[in-house]
Amino acid sequence: MNEYTYDRIEVGMKEGFSVRITEEEMTKFLEITKDVNPLHNDEDYARSKGHKKRVVFGMLTAAYLSTLAGVYLPGKYSLIHSVKTKFSGAVYVGDELRIEGTVVEKNDTFKIIIVKVVMVNQNQEKVCKAEMQIGVI
Amino acid sequence: MTREEIMDKVNEIFREVFDDDSLVITDSTNSEDIEDWDSLEHISLIISMEKEFDMKFDIKEVNKLENVGQMVDMIKSKME
Repeated sequence: MNEYTYDRIEVGMKEGFSVRITEEEMTKFLEITKDVNPLHNDEDYARSKGHKKRVVFGMLTAAYLSTLAGVYLPGKYSLIHSVKTKFSGAVYVGDELRIEGTVVEKNDTFKIIIVKVVMVNQNQEKVCKAEMQIGVI
Repeated sequence: MTREEIMDKVNEIFREVFDDDSLVITDSTNSEDIEDWDSLEHISLIISMEKEFDMKFDIKEVNKLENVGQMVDMIKSKME
C-alpha cells in the first residue's frame, strides 16, 4: 500500500494497477447488492441487447476506484469525498482492466486532491472515466 | 474591489455550487438557511472562492466563519 502524505503529492503524479474481472466477483457482487437485472445475469438477454455476453455491473467496475484511492493514490491516508463516474464502454467477465489515476489539482487549505481516472480494457478501449475528490488525512 | 462587488461574486459562486440561479445571499446567510450546505459543499464553496479571488485561506480562519458576511470580510481583508 502506498502511503503518500499530502506534501509528497504533486500535480501530474500518476498511479495505477490492473485487474481481471472474474465470474466469482460477479457472483459476490450480486449477493451483496441484489441487483438481479438480466443484463448482468442472463447471457441470452444480454445477447438480445447487442452484447457478446453478460455485462459486468458498472458499479463493480467503479468499485476499483476505491482501491485506486485507498491503496495507490494517495493510499493509506485516503478519504474519498466524491466521485463522478462515466461508463463509456461495456466490460465483460474475463476482461483485464488497467485503472490509472492522475492528480490534476491540489488544494492546500483542505489537503484535498482531485484525481482523474481512466480505465481501459485489454484492447485499450476506454470503459470508465472518473473524477475523484480525495482528502489526504 | 468594493465589498458589494465581492458580495456579487460570492453570490455567483453560491449559485453555481448549489446549482440554483435564484439563490440570493445576504451577510447573515449561514448553513442553516441553505439545505444543501453541508461540509462537502462548504469545501466546494471555499475552493471556488480561492480560485475566483486568486487567494489562499487558512483552515483555521475558514473554520471560524459563521456566515456569508464573515466570509466576504475575510476575502476583503486579504485584498487589502
